[in-house]
Amino acid sequence: MLPTSAIIMLIFGSIVIYGGLAYFIYRAFKK
Amino acid sequence: MAAIGSAVGLGNVWRFPYVCYENGGGAFLIPYLVALFTAGIPLMILEFSIGHWFRGAPPDAFKKVSKKWEWAGWFSSILPFTVALYYIVIMSWCFSYMVYAVDLRWGADAGLFFKNFLGDTGNPAIFGNISIPVLIGLIALWITVFIILYKGVKRIGKVVALTVPIPTILLIILTIRGITLPGAMEGLSYYLTPNFSSLFDANVWLAAYAQIFFSIGVAQGIMITYASFLKKKSDINNNAFIISLADAGTSFLAGFTVFSVVGYLAASKGITIAALGEQIAGPNLTFVTYPTAISLLPFAAAFFGIIFFVALLNFGIDSAFSMIEPISESVNQKWKLTKTKAVGMICLLGFLLSLMFTSGNGLHLLDIFDHFIANFGLVIIGLVECILFGWFFSIRKIREHANETSDIKIGRWWDVLIKYIIPIVLGIILILSIIENVTKPYMNYSWEILIAFGLIPIVILFIFSIILAKKKGNEEVS
Repeated sequence: MLPTSAIIMLIFGSIVIYGGLAYFIYRAFKK
Repeated sequence: MAAIGSAVGLGNVWRFPYVCYENGGGAFLIPYLVALFTAGIPLMILEFSIGHWFRGAPPDAFKKVSKKWEWAGWFSSILPFTVALYYIVIMSWCFSYMVYAVDLRWGADAGLFFKNFLGDTGNPAIFGNISIPVLIGLIALWITVFIILYKGVKRIGKVVALTVPIPTILLIILTIRGITLPGAMEGLSYYLTPNFSSLFDANVWLAAYAQIFFSIGVAQGIMITYASFLKKKSDINNNAFIISLADAGTSFLAGFTVFSVVGYLAASKGITIAALGEQIAGPNLTFVTYPTAISLLPFAAAFFGIIFFVALLNFGIDSAFSMIEPISESVNQKWKLTKTKAVGMICLLGFLLSLMFTSGNGLHLLDIFDHFIANFGLVIIGLVECILFGWFFSIRKIREHANETSDIKIGRWWDVLIKYIIPIVLGIILILSIIENVTKPYMNYSWEILIAFGLIPIVILFIFSIILAKKKGNEEVS
């Protein structure tokens, strides 16, 4: 099992990178 | 899509995970993302705006600002071409390994197999023999690049529709396989566990800026060239965000692919991941460590070996042809050659020059060449771009041009980043590189070798750029 701090960084990285990517792709299609 | 393919390459797989692990693990994500938003994306917006506004390859775009700066445009077009010379050789290694993966031909000692495969002389001064498998792969890849490029952007669009999603899907498959292996969590723990004290280390921040700068494909004339083909109403800012985040997303995912398998390898051999050291990065990771781990898989080892190298080839091919496109488009625009003729000449020249990396000292030459071009060539172009367009041109007008077609508007903060922050960071990176290289010879190679294969090529490129800028083009003659 991963340490809690590693899980927190995993969630943080995923939200910023993949969340950001999904958001900008959504904006591109919305336009 | 083509710009995503260009940005995402071999470096995402073999450089980011190791840099992350070396610089504070999960905590590295903080400086990395700061660097992404304060340097990577702003530079991408700048290059997209330049290409979109001036509608030309770098020499043409730079010349429109001032004839005096045309050389810088040529320099930024030739530089990616020189990177392609050895990048395609590495892809040729991947090509051979994709075939070798069928029967896991590297056997128990992948390190020895790799050296034999290259015919490695162990010394950059001793040329040795040309490796025939590498030569065959090289011919096949240069022909592929020619076939993709000579028809122009429409064919590029069709190719990247396959070469962008396929390797990402394969990487996800490899990651799923990796994280289900024993020892994988130990590996991921090395990758992600944060060491927050590293955030107070200036070198970690510089490593983050350098990683972003080298990874997303800016300062190579590629984004300027691609943006010159964009439709007038294309959304510049949104494209820059999508490409940069797609690049970061691939790097982040590759960390899981690499560290899960490295954790499995360490567990299988009963050693710690730290003991593998630099075997987790660069050609060692791809051609020694990963194949070794693949051989230890309990089932379908060949299948996973093949898809790993297929993924790398796909990641590499769109980066490779994007490196040829700026110079072929520059030649095309200045001398009004047909696309077929321009691409044919460049690919033939590229093939002949890349032969030097197929010999027994190719690995070492490639290492030196790459070190100097990345540390000096790209950083100098980045600096010149920021200084030229930030200080000798109206950066406000460029921002307004980007905002005109974009859904998301950028503010004055972008001007500050281009004029001050990014040049300062790049200046520090450049000065530190110079100090490091002057005080200690890179990898303990002799000074003669480093000057001959590192410094002199950069000086030749610089002189050659000035000559090309001074030459009259066909449109000027007429």
